[in-house]
Amino acid sequence: MNQFTVTFQPDNIQVQVTAGSSVMDAAQKAGLPLKSTCGGVGTCGRCAIKVLQGEVQVEGSHLPLRLKEQGYTLACQTLIQGDAIIEIPASSRLSKHQILLQDKGRLADGLTDSLASYPLEPCCETITLSLSEPTLTENASDASRLLAALRKEQGREGELNLTLLRDLPATLRQAGWQVDVTLAREGRDIIRVTPAGSTRSFGLAIDLGTTTVAVSLLDLKTGRQIARNGGYNRQAAYGDDVISRIIHATSDDNGQEELRHAALATINELIVTMLAGAGIEAQEVITAVVAGNTTMIHLLLGVNPKYIRLQPYIPAAAEWPPVTAIEAGLAINPLAPVRLFPAVASYVGGDIVAGALFTGIARKEELALFIDIGTNGEMVLGNNDWLISCACSAGPAFEGSGITCGMRAMNGAIEGLTIDPETYEVELAVIGGGRPAGLCGSGLIDCLAKLKRAGIIDRTGSFQEVATPRLRHTDEGAEFILAWAAESITGRDIIISEADIKNLIRSKGAVFAGIQSLLKTVALEIEAIDKIIIAGGFGNYLNIPNAVEIGLLPDLPAAKYAFAGNTSLKGAELALLSWTAWQEALELARKMTYLELSAGNLFMEEFVSALFLPHTQLELFPSVANVTDMDRREG
Amino acid sequence: MAVQILRDRSRAAVQKIVLGATREQGGTRSHTITVGGDAALPFYHFEGEVANRPVIAMEVQDIVPQWPDILQEPFNDVISEPGRWAQKCVAAYGADLIYLKLDGADPEGANHSVDQCVTTVKEVLQAVGVPLIIAGCGDVEKDHDVLEAVAEAASGENLLLGNAEQDNYKSLTAACMVHKHNIIARSPLDINICKQLNILINEMNLGLDHILIDPSIGGLGYGIEYAFSIMERIRLGALQGDKMLSMPVICTVGYEAWRAKEAVAPVSESPGWGKEVERGILWEAVTATALLQAGAHILLMRHPQAVAKVRENIDQLMVSNAY
Repeated sequence: MNQFTVTFQPDNIQVQVTAGSSVMDAAQKAGLPLKSTCGGVGTCGRCAIKVLQGEVQVEGSHLPLRLKEQGYTLACQTLIQGDAIIEIPASSRLSKHQILLQDKGRLADGLTDSLASYPLEPCCETITLSLSEPTLTENASDASRLLAALRKEQGREGELNLTLLRDLPATLRQAGWQVDVTLAREGRDIIRVTPAGSTRSFGLAIDLGTTTVAVSLLDLKTGRQIARNGGYNRQAAYGDDVISRIIHATSDDNGQEELRHAALATINELIVTMLAGAGIEAQEVITAVVAGNTTMIHLLLGVNPKYIRLQPYIPAAAEWPPVTAIEAGLAINPLAPVRLFPAVASYVGGDIVAGALFTGIARKEELALFIDIGTNGEMVLGNNDWLISCACSAGPAFEGSGITCGMRAMNGAIEGLTIDPETYEVELAVIGGGRPAGLCGSGLIDCLAKLKRAGIIDRTGSFQEVATPRLRHTDEGAEFILAWAAESITGRDIIISEADIKNLIRSKGAVFAGIQSLLKTVALEIEAIDKIIIAGGFGNYLNIPNAVEIGLLPDLPAAKYAFAGNTSLKGAELALLSWTAWQEALELARKMTYLELSAGNLFMEEFVSALFLPHTQLELFPSVANVTDMDRREG
Repeated sequence: MAVQILRDRSRAAVQKIVLGATREQGGTRSHTITVGGDAALPFYHFEGEVANRPVIAMEVQDIVPQWPDILQEPFNDVISEPGRWAQKCVAAYGADLIYLKLDGADPEGANHSVDQCVTTVKEVLQAVGVPLIIAGCGDVEKDHDVLEAVAEAASGENLLLGNAEQDNYKSLTAACMVHKHNIIARSPLDINICKQLNILINEMNLGLDHILIDPSIGGLGYGIEYAFSIMERIRLGALQGDKMLSMPVICTVGYEAWRAKEAVAPVSESPGWGKEVERGILWEAVTATALLQAGAHILLMRHPQAVAKVRENIDQLMVSNAY
């Protein structure tokens, strides 16, 4: 097979690839990952590159005409046929973005010390045993000696498996018959036998998200957090959302394994760097808790996810059997018990149960609404008496996907803007302070609110005829220029098109319709909600008044809103440290009612009604109605 | 013990809308017509005031329409002269209003010029004293020009002009505001779009008492039940105080009824269906009376005999059943 050299510019990095490899693969090999949301099948148009020199073969692709004319092709559809020099524009690079590890300090009171209300009781306990040395007359086996001591000193039955037995003779003698034995809180399994005295015990909390993965290392003796780490889920290469992942898993021969490995590679790499940084051995991590949506857990465990996607949307399991780290494939102590948060349904997963646990909504009398806005808007409404949940397909718009100039919340993303109502000139707030590359979710919401306020769009999201060169009509419809090519990092105009706006309106409409559907199902009004807790990375950057102004969130006083950050990870941490909390999580998932929105036409009615800014029922948004009235009077 | 009869009292009423303007009011109409104002469900006189009786506007076109013979027959002597046609509708058949449909403007059809359309409007205004409803041909760009010119030429007449739709409401709304007319806000059998369009038009500052709702209807046997339930929801919304659903409702009865195969199929084709003369008339009349029950305020109708039957029905329904 012919080998060719590919040089990537402006990085000037060279790699050798075989003939017929895609530029996408070559870039991956060069350590320059590219954006891709379609799984490299040439449909998302995110991985545009320019071949400066060399022989390539370009397959058909969905690239906007504008880019094609500028000489761009899609990396996944461009095959290397000779030595080549390729330019990767900034807009196609997958740059580091803010994985939600730390909160921005906007955390509401009352959510910070959830742990304080639970006892510290990890699912594994370590017991120090003093064994009598064997003699010619007292000659029981090493294993019997250990188990007898356990029975005698702690009154507990234990079981040793083969892995432990292999090392047991040496360990006992090196330790001088003084050993620490780590046991699972329930059952007989012995996890670890180490010399007494120096034994450290750590636990791992994992938030396995569709887009990002976050891990947290906790000291099980003190309950203190040692380290956190986060990164992209490498499954992203196989598609952006759970649906495309399920399709990949079930239509490709090896798809399910590829996705399992991608998830494990992501998690294990995070674990390895975190442990190295903290000076902790993998053997010392003796338990783990994973929270993730239903599909992610299926894929992590290698369980067939096919029927999650197909009506009537049935998962293989909602509660998962306990597995060991080695079975799961995690790079920690192989015998460490790994617990997976139970799900409620196919689209209300363990991440939501973890969030409900952490936010304590099931422990309080006040009526709380817990929302995680991502590709799916998942929400739970209830209190200590009852809980009801649903998931609505909001689409990936708020994560920057499916929007012409959409991007994730990373450096270069526009997160806010102002539009002068007289001149229609735009001022941008860009993450990192540099030049803009695109719009992230919070920027999109702000943009929608401001376009409406400036009268550039009407309540249906259609552009109005306003006198500004920023509004232009193209073959693909009208668009508004937020940043001119000369002002942007990408060298291209950053625009929001009418189609983007309609897309956003559908997304916000779906979320609000989900909320309304929950409320109507239990016959309550918006005003009955005492607290709205917003979870997820997106929530941290969300401007509540803007979100209310476009009708994404209910029109309630700002004091009723709270941001809770990555509640999936925090819930996993809580379950890691407290057996009581874990039991509560199991109970939570069992008692939560699931409202299937695709059954009946309640959701559809609400959805259509919500496709308006802010809503067809303006009376649901009294504060917004006032804002626009005021604007009109001033105008 | 006496039976306690419960009555629902409404929080609000349907908007009252005045159509037409007399000389004193700046127009040339002999009288005005007021629709709406109901404070109860249709004809629930016992629960609230039914302020104004539903009215019938008879359809006149600016071209000789492709109507079935039975429908054309009563107008044969006047059908090529919109003014005389309108006159006959008022004088001979007692139309409350004239609904002038400018189908001749259609660029795919007769393609009348804007001036021709304006002339026709003036001709009809001169021929009759009742208020006018004028609708365009349905071609967005042509209607834009025609209706703007009509609005200007008939400034002060307080016409009812249509149709405004969700994607195309601005120019007509602006024309109605400048020249003081009323607008038909037409939505495709969708309560949400209906309300949204009213909001959009109102936000351009055309008053709520200048907007009528055309919810789109289906003729008898062709989805009339959808129209019925949408109209019920509109009325219930209005009575509960939803300002953006509080406008009177106008229904394109004649157009929908006479599209039905059952209304026009010759007796030779379907002997079991009875005489086509009676059938078409009944089809239109029954469509109209059903929609009256759902809350129609203005019925746009075609056949004189159907009009007579429906008027008789309205007379009966307007007899108070209050107790």
